[in-house]
Amino acid sequence: MTEETHTAPVEPAAVEEPLDLVRLSLDERIYVKLRGDRELRGKLHAYDGHLNMVLSEVEETITVVEINEETYEEVIRTQKKTSEMLFVRGDGVILVSPPVRTG
Amino acid sequence: MQSQERSPTEFLNNVIGRPVLVKLNSGVDYRGILSCLDGYMNIALEQTEEWVNGQLKNKYGDAFIRGNNGIKSIL
Amino acid sequence: MVCFYYFLVSTLRIESRNTLIGHQVTVELKNDLAITGILSSVDQFLNIKLDDIRVVDDTKYPHMMAVKNCFIRGSVVRYVQLPASAVDTALLQDAARREAQTPTTAAAHTMNR
Repeated sequence: MTEETHTAPVEPAAVEEPLDLVRLSLDERIYVKLRGDRELRGKLHAYDGHLNMVLSEVEETITVVEINEETYEEVIRTQKKTSEMLFVRGDGVILVSPPVRTG
Repeated sequence: MQSQERSPTEFLNNVIGRPVLVKLNSGVDYRGILSCLDGYMNIALEQTEEWVNGQLKNKYGDAFIRGNNGIKSIL
Repeated sequence: MVCFYYFLVSTLRIESRNTLIGHQVTVELKNDLAITGILSSVDQFLNIKLDDIRVVDDTKYPHMMAVKNCFIRGSVVRYVQLPASAVDTALLQDAARREAQTPTTAAAHTMNR
């Protein structure tokens, strides 16, 4: 079984449409940027056209920027959470990046 | 660039493979090489750089940007 | 018959969910409220019904203490935490690959609309 799409004959480039990038990341650890300053790192097991996803061994990083009331300095606080298996609703997704292949 | 393109679709097809700047409504900009895009304006970029407030925040080898996330412009 | 039903409505969301009915899950909403309960049903909009619910941070949301079961509109869901033991990841990956190949999704993604 090869991974060939049933669309019009195009050059055999692996990425013909943006979602191919996500398909090629199945079973790999990916990085997901979500609305609300949330980031996820986890292994991708499933996705659909809405970018609903199922990830495992997930590390969630939540970034909160607080302004110190006296000094008016920005304090960036990050909070980490983990979950063994997570379904992510696609409407919150901003960006998906496959594991770093180079450098 | 502004030679003989007639429709937005044609314009976008002409830009594939070129360096682009994708601006989101959130104020975050992505610079990279446009690999492809689809009817939802989902975008695949290569050699992506994430810029926030004029500062380089992140680099991604490949990046999928979900359409309908308020893409304001592709330059 | 079952097969046809699956073909029509079973995007991976439903397929993956149905096996999880009866398991304990935690639904995190976009307003940060997180509710743990037994998954009782899911529909195509990812609306979720939970039984025997418990709010994860019940000091912050005391008004939920008396509630035993609930219906959650799909659009307000951010995450659903699942028990890893109840998820067949190989099956999920197959389903995702199959869905990626269906002509409907492929057509929807072409530029020529």
